[in-house]
Amino acid sequence: GDNRAAVRALTDMIAYKSVNDLPPPKDLMIQIDQKNEAVLLPIYGSMVPFHVATIRTVSSQQDTNRNCYIRIIFNVPGTPFSPHDANSLKFQGSIYLKEVSFRSKDPRHISEVVQQIKTLRRQVVARESERAERAT
Amino acid sequence: MTDGHLFNNISIGGRGGTNPGQLKIFSGGILWKKQGGGKAIEVDKADIVGVTWMKVPRTNQLGVRIKDGLYYKFTGFRDQDVSSLSTYFQNTCGITPEEKQLSVSGRNWGEVDLNGNMLTFLAGSKQAFEVSLADVSQTQLQGKNDVILEFHVDDTTGANEKDSLMEISFHIPNSNTQFVGDESRP
Repeated sequence: GDNRAAVRALTDMIAYKSVNDLPPPKDLMIQIDQKNEAVLLPIYGSMVPFHVATIRTVSSQQDTNRNCYIRIIFNVPGTPFSPHDANSLKFQGSIYLKEVSFRSKDPRHISEVVQQIKTLRRQVVARESERAERAT
Repeated sequence: MTDGHLFNNISIGGRGGTNPGQLKIFSGGILWKKQGGGKAIEVDKADIVGVTWMKVPRTNQLGVRIKDGLYYKFTGFRDQDVSSLSTYFQNTCGITPEEKQLSVSGRNWGEVDLNGNMLTFLAGSKQAFEVSLADVSQTQLQGKNDVILEFHVDDTTGANEKDSLMEISFHIPNSNTQFVGDESRP
Protein backbone atom coordinates (compact mmCIF):
# COMPACT_ATOMS: atom_id res chain seq x y z
CA GLY A 1 0.00 0.00 0.00
CA ASP A 2 0.91 3.64 -0.22
CA ASN A 3 2.73 4.57 2.95
CA ARG A 4 1.98 8.26 2.61
CA ALA A 5 -1.76 7.82 2.80
CA ALA A 6 -1.38 5.64 5.88
CA VAL A 7 0.77 8.32 7.44
CA ARG A 8 -1.85 10.95 6.89
CA ALA A 9 -4.36 8.74 8.59
CA LEU A 10 -2.15 8.24 11.63
CA THR A 11 -1.66 11.88 12.42
CA ASP A 12 -5.37 12.47 11.95
CA MET A 13 -6.20 9.76 14.42
CA ILE A 14 -7.52 11.18 17.62
CA ALA A 15 -8.38 9.08 20.65
CA TYR A 16 -10.86 11.52 22.21
CA LYS A 17 -12.30 14.83 21.13
CA SER A 18 -13.23 16.09 24.56
CA VAL A 19 -12.20 15.47 28.16
CA ASN A 20 -15.61 14.07 29.03
CA ASP A 21 -15.41 11.41 26.31
CA LEU A 22 -12.95 9.46 28.42
CA PRO A 23 -14.33 6.36 30.12
CA PRO A 24 -15.46 6.89 33.74
CA PRO A 25 -12.50 6.69 36.11
CA LYS A 26 -12.13 3.14 37.39
CA ASP A 27 -9.22 1.61 39.19
CA LEU A 28 -5.84 3.07 38.45
CA MET A 29 -4.61 0.43 36.09
CA ILE A 30 -3.85 0.12 32.41
CA GLN A 31 -7.10 0.00 30.46
CA ILE A 32 -8.02 -0.55 26.83
CA ASP A 33 -10.86 1.41 25.26
CA GLN A 34 -11.72 -0.63 22.16
CA LYS A 35 -14.33 1.81 20.92
CA ASN A 36 -11.97 4.77 20.86
CA GLU A 37 -8.92 2.65 19.98
CA ALA A 38 -7.11 3.98 23.00
CA VAL A 39 -4.80 2.65 25.68
CA LEU A 40 -5.14 4.45 29.02
CA LEU A 41 -2.11 4.57 31.28
CA PRO A 42 -2.13 5.52 34.97
CA ILE A 43 0.43 8.30 35.35
CA TYR A 44 0.52 10.20 38.63
CA GLY A 45 -3.05 9.47 39.53
CA SER A 46 -4.49 10.32 36.11
CA MET A 47 -5.54 8.10 33.25
CA VAL A 48 -3.56 9.24 30.22
CA PRO A 49 -4.84 8.11 26.80
CA PHE A 50 -2.71 7.09 23.83
CA HIS A 51 -4.12 6.14 20.47
CA VAL A 52 -3.20 2.55 19.70
CA ALA A 53 -1.70 3.66 16.37
CA THR A 54 1.07 5.47 18.28
CA ILE A 55 2.17 2.15 19.79
CA ARG A 56 4.92 0.19 18.10
CA THR A 57 5.32 -2.84 20.36
CA VAL A 58 4.16 -4.12 23.70
CA SER A 59 5.71 -6.86 25.81
CA SER A 60 5.60 -8.23 29.32
CA GLN A 61 7.94 -10.10 31.58
CA GLN A 62 7.97 -11.56 35.06
CA ASP A 63 10.85 -11.55 37.52
CA THR A 64 11.75 -14.06 40.20
CA ASN A 65 9.87 -12.08 42.85
CA ARG A 66 6.64 -12.64 40.94
CA ASN A 67 6.60 -9.01 39.91
CA CYS A 68 5.20 -8.46 36.50
CA TYR A 69 6.38 -5.77 34.11
CA ILE A 70 4.89 -4.36 30.95
CA ARG A 71 6.80 -2.28 28.42
CA ILE A 72 5.13 -0.20 25.75
CA ILE A 73 7.26 1.24 22.96
CA PHE A 74 5.82 4.05 20.85
CA ASN A 75 6.48 5.05 17.28
CA VAL A 76 9.18 7.70 16.99
CA PRO A 77 10.85 9.13 13.88
CA GLY A 78 14.02 7.51 12.69
CA THR A 79 13.08 3.92 13.45
CA PRO A 80 12.68 1.61 10.45
CA PHE A 81 9.19 1.62 8.93
CA SER A 82 8.00 4.17 11.43
CA PRO A 83 4.77 5.63 10.12
CA HIS A 84 5.87 8.98 11.53
CA ASP A 85 8.86 9.18 9.25
CA ALA A 86 7.35 10.81 6.21
CA ASN A 87 5.38 13.11 8.39
CA SER A 88 7.82 14.06 11.09
CA LEU A 89 8.68 17.16 9.06
CA LYS A 90 5.27 18.47 9.94
CA PHE A 91 6.04 18.12 13.64
CA GLN A 92 9.67 19.09 13.46
CA GLY A 93 10.95 20.07 16.84
CA SER A 94 8.54 17.80 18.66
CA ILE A 95 9.67 15.59 21.48
CA TYR A 96 8.32 12.04 21.43
CA LEU A 97 7.28 9.79 24.24
CA LYS A 98 9.25 6.71 23.32
CA GLU A 99 8.72 4.14 25.99
CA VAL A 100 6.95 3.50 29.26
CA SER A 101 7.21 0.59 31.66
CA PHE A 102 4.96 -0.33 34.51
CA ARG A 103 5.19 -2.83 37.30
CA SER A 104 1.98 -4.63 38.06
CA LYS A 105 0.61 -6.57 40.98
CA ASP A 106 -1.52 -8.68 38.65
CA PRO A 107 0.16 -10.87 36.01
CA ARG A 108 -3.17 -12.04 34.60
CA HIS A 109 -4.30 -8.46 34.00
CA ILE A 110 -0.98 -7.68 32.29
CA SER A 111 -1.18 -10.63 29.91
CA GLU A 112 -4.75 -9.59 29.03
CA VAL A 113 -3.60 -6.03 28.40
CA VAL A 114 -0.76 -7.19 26.16
CA GLN A 115 -3.14 -9.38 24.14
CA GLN A 116 -5.77 -6.66 23.83
CA ILE A 117 -3.26 -4.05 22.70
CA LYS A 118 -1.77 -6.42 20.13
CA THR A 119 -5.17 -7.37 18.73
CA LEU A 120 -6.46 -3.80 18.62
CA ARG A 121 -3.26 -2.56 17.02
CA ARG A 122 -3.43 -5.30 14.37
CA GLN A 123 -7.03 -4.37 13.54
CA VAL A 124 -6.26 -0.68 13.22
CA VAL A 125 -3.11 -1.23 11.14
CA ALA A 126 -4.99 -3.62 8.82
CA ARG A 127 -7.88 -1.20 8.39
CA GLU A 128 -5.58 1.74 7.69
CA SER A 129 -3.45 -0.09 5.16
CA GLU A 130 -6.62 -1.25 3.43
CA ARG A 131 -7.83 2.34 3.35
CA ALA A 132 -4.47 3.48 2.01
CA GLU A 133 -4.61 0.85 -0.72
CA ARG A 134 -8.07 1.89 -1.77
CA ALA A 135 -6.91 5.48 -1.97
CA THR A 136 -4.24 4.72 -4.58
CA MET B 1 -13.23 36.87 57.45
CA THR B 2 -15.14 33.63 57.07
CA ASP B 3 -13.25 30.51 57.88
CA GLY B 4 -13.19 29.48 54.25
CA HIS B 5 -14.42 26.53 52.24
CA LEU B 6 -14.58 22.89 53.17
CA PHE B 7 -14.72 20.11 50.58
CA ASN B 8 -15.19 16.45 51.21
CA ASN B 9 -14.09 13.89 48.68
CA ILE B 10 -11.08 15.68 47.31
CA SER B 11 -8.33 13.35 46.29
CA ILE B 12 -4.69 14.18 45.99
CA GLY B 13 -2.83 12.73 43.06
CA GLY B 14 0.79 11.77 42.92
CA ARG B 15 3.31 9.05 42.41
CA GLY B 16 1.35 6.26 44.08
CA GLY B 17 -2.01 7.05 42.55
CA THR B 18 -4.72 8.97 44.35
CA ASN B 19 -5.84 9.28 47.95
CA PRO B 20 -9.26 10.58 48.99
CA GLY B 21 -9.61 13.15 51.74
CA GLN B 22 -10.97 16.42 52.95
CA LEU B 23 -9.75 19.80 51.83
CA LYS B 24 -10.09 23.06 53.68
CA ILE B 25 -9.28 26.32 52.00
CA PHE B 26 -9.22 29.18 54.49
CA SER B 27 -7.62 32.53 55.12
CA GLY B 28 -4.45 30.90 56.47
CA GLY B 29 -3.91 28.65 53.48
CA ILE B 30 -4.80 25.10 52.49
CA LEU B 31 -5.20 22.00 54.63
CA TRP B 32 -5.81 18.53 53.24
CA LYS B 33 -6.41 15.51 55.46
CA LYS B 34 -6.45 11.95 54.28
CA GLN B 35 -9.71 10.11 54.80
CA GLY B 36 -9.50 8.02 57.93
CA GLY B 37 -6.57 10.01 59.24
CA GLY B 38 -2.89 9.69 58.64
CA LYS B 39 -1.39 11.89 56.06
CA ALA B 40 -2.07 15.63 56.09
CA ILE B 41 -0.80 18.40 53.87
CA GLU B 42 -0.63 21.96 55.06
CA VAL B 43 0.18 24.88 52.83
CA ASP B 44 0.68 28.32 54.28
CA LYS B 45 -0.96 31.09 52.29
CA ALA B 46 2.37 32.91 52.03
CA ASP B 47 3.99 29.89 50.38
CA ILE B 48 1.54 29.66 47.49
CA VAL B 49 3.11 30.96 44.32
CA GLY B 50 0.58 29.81 41.76
CA VAL B 51 -2.81 28.20 41.35
CA THR B 52 -4.18 26.40 38.30
CA TRP B 53 -7.47 24.85 37.26
CA MET B 54 -7.86 22.02 34.83
CA LYS B 55 -10.96 20.23 33.59
CA VAL B 56 -10.36 16.50 33.94
CA PRO B 57 -12.84 13.70 33.13
CA ARG B 58 -16.06 14.44 35.01
CA THR B 59 -14.53 16.83 37.51
CA ASN B 60 -12.02 19.64 38.05
CA GLN B 61 -8.47 19.64 39.29
CA LEU B 62 -6.84 22.33 41.38
CA GLY B 63 -3.07 22.69 41.13
CA VAL B 64 -1.20 24.50 43.87
CA ARG B 65 2.42 25.39 43.36
CA ILE B 66 4.42 26.36 46.42
CA LYS B 67 7.68 28.20 47.01
CA ASP B 68 10.05 25.24 47.22
CA GLY B 69 8.96 23.95 43.81
CA LEU B 70 6.49 21.36 45.08
CA TYR B 71 3.20 21.08 43.30
CA TYR B 72 0.02 19.62 44.75
CA LYS B 73 -2.89 18.41 42.67
CA PHE B 74 -6.34 18.15 44.20
CA THR B 75 -9.16 16.55 42.22
CA GLY B 76 -12.91 16.52 42.79
CA PHE B 77 -14.27 20.05 42.39
CA ARG B 78 -17.61 20.87 40.81
CA ASP B 79 -17.83 23.57 38.17
CA GLN B 80 -19.41 25.99 40.63
CA ASP B 81 -16.55 25.43 43.09
CA VAL B 82 -14.12 26.58 40.42
CA SER B 83 -15.64 30.02 40.12
CA SER B 84 -16.22 30.54 43.85
CA LEU B 85 -12.69 29.38 44.71
CA SER B 86 -11.14 31.49 41.97
CA THR B 87 -12.73 34.54 43.54
CA TYR B 88 -11.58 33.38 46.94
CA PHE B 89 -7.95 32.97 45.83
CA GLN B 90 -8.01 36.38 44.25
CA ASN B 91 -9.40 38.07 47.33
CA THR B 92 -7.44 36.17 49.95
CA CYS B 93 -4.08 35.54 48.32
CA GLY B 94 -4.09 38.03 45.49
CA ILE B 95 -3.52 35.14 43.07
CA THR B 96 -5.47 34.75 39.88
CA PRO B 97 -5.79 31.07 38.99
CA GLU B 98 -4.58 30.09 35.54
CA GLU B 99 -6.50 27.72 33.38
CA LYS B 100 -4.79 24.65 31.96
CA GLN B 101 -6.19 22.29 29.37
CA LEU B 102 -5.89 18.53 29.28
CA SER B 103 -4.93 16.79 26.08
CA VAL B 104 -6.96 13.70 25.33
CA SER B 105 -6.00 13.34 21.67
CA GLY B 106 -3.82 10.32 22.41
CA ARG B 107 -0.73 11.60 20.64
CA ASN B 108 2.78 10.70 21.72
CA TRP B 109 4.49 13.77 20.30
CA GLY B 110 4.59 17.27 21.68
CA GLU B 111 6.70 19.40 23.95
CA VAL B 112 8.33 18.96 27.32
CA ASP B 113 8.01 21.75 29.83
CA LEU B 114 10.07 21.96 33.01
CA ASN B 115 8.80 24.05 35.87
CA GLY B 116 10.05 23.62 39.42
CA ASN B 117 10.04 19.88 40.10
CA MET B 118 7.45 19.10 37.48
CA LEU B 119 7.99 17.75 34.01
CA THR B 120 4.97 18.30 31.81
CA PHE B 121 4.40 16.62 28.48
CA LEU B 122 2.24 18.78 26.26
CA ALA B 123 0.49 17.71 23.07
CA GLY B 124 -0.82 20.55 20.95
CA SER B 125 -0.09 23.01 23.81
CA LYS B 126 -2.38 21.03 26.12
CA GLN B 127 -1.14 19.01 29.05
CA ALA B 128 -1.03 15.26 28.41
CA PHE B 129 0.63 14.28 31.70
CA GLU B 130 2.92 15.46 34.46
CA VAL B 131 5.55 13.68 36.50
CA SER B 132 7.60 14.93 39.43
CA LEU B 133 11.34 14.93 38.99
CA ALA B 134 11.61 14.50 42.76
CA ASP B 135 10.53 10.89 42.22
CA VAL B 136 13.12 10.20 39.57
CA SER B 137 15.89 7.98 40.88
CA GLN B 138 18.04 8.03 37.80
CA THR B 139 18.27 9.63 34.40
CA GLN B 140 20.14 8.09 31.54
CA LEU B 141 21.08 9.24 28.12
CA GLN B 142 20.69 6.48 25.57
CA GLY B 143 22.39 7.10 22.30
CA LYS B 144 22.29 10.69 21.23
CA ASN B 145 18.58 11.29 21.25
CA ASP B 146 16.89 9.37 24.04
CA VAL B 147 16.49 10.31 27.67
CA ILE B 148 15.33 7.72 30.18
CA LEU B 149 13.81 8.61 33.54
CA GLU B 150 13.66 5.87 36.15
CA PHE B 151 11.27 6.29 39.05
CA HIS B 152 11.75 5.29 42.66
CA VAL B 153 10.05 2.10 43.62
CA ASP B 154 7.92 3.12 46.54
CA ASP B 155 6.06 0.39 48.35
CA THR B 156 5.36 2.37 51.47
CA THR B 157 2.95 5.11 50.44
CA GLY B 158 -0.05 2.81 50.38
CA ALA B 159 -0.24 3.05 46.63
CA ASN B 160 -3.71 2.24 45.48
CA GLU B 161 -2.85 1.78 41.86
CA LYS B 162 -2.52 -1.66 40.40
CA ASP B 163 0.06 -0.74 37.80
CA SER B 164 2.92 1.56 38.77
CA LEU B 165 5.03 3.63 36.44
CA MET B 166 8.66 2.53 36.58
CA GLU B 167 10.33 4.11 33.63
CA ILE B 168 9.61 6.61 30.92
CA SER B 169 11.73 7.68 28.00
CA PHE B 170 11.62 10.55 25.58
CA HIS B 171 13.01 10.76 22.09
CA ILE B 172 14.42 14.16 21.22
CA PRO B 173 15.09 14.39 17.49
CA ASN B 174 18.04 16.41 16.23
CA SER B 175 15.55 18.86 14.81
CA ASN B 176 14.50 19.85 18.32
CA THR B 177 15.96 23.16 19.38
CA GLN B 178 14.65 23.30 22.92
CA PHE B 179 17.20 20.95 24.42
CA VAL B 180 20.63 21.00 22.85
CA GLY B 181 23.99 19.68 23.96
CA ASP B 182 24.32 18.90 27.64
CA GLU B 183 20.96 20.31 28.41
CA SER B 184 19.25 17.50 26.61
CA ARG B 185 18.43 15.96 29.98
CA PRO B 186 14.94 17.01 30.94
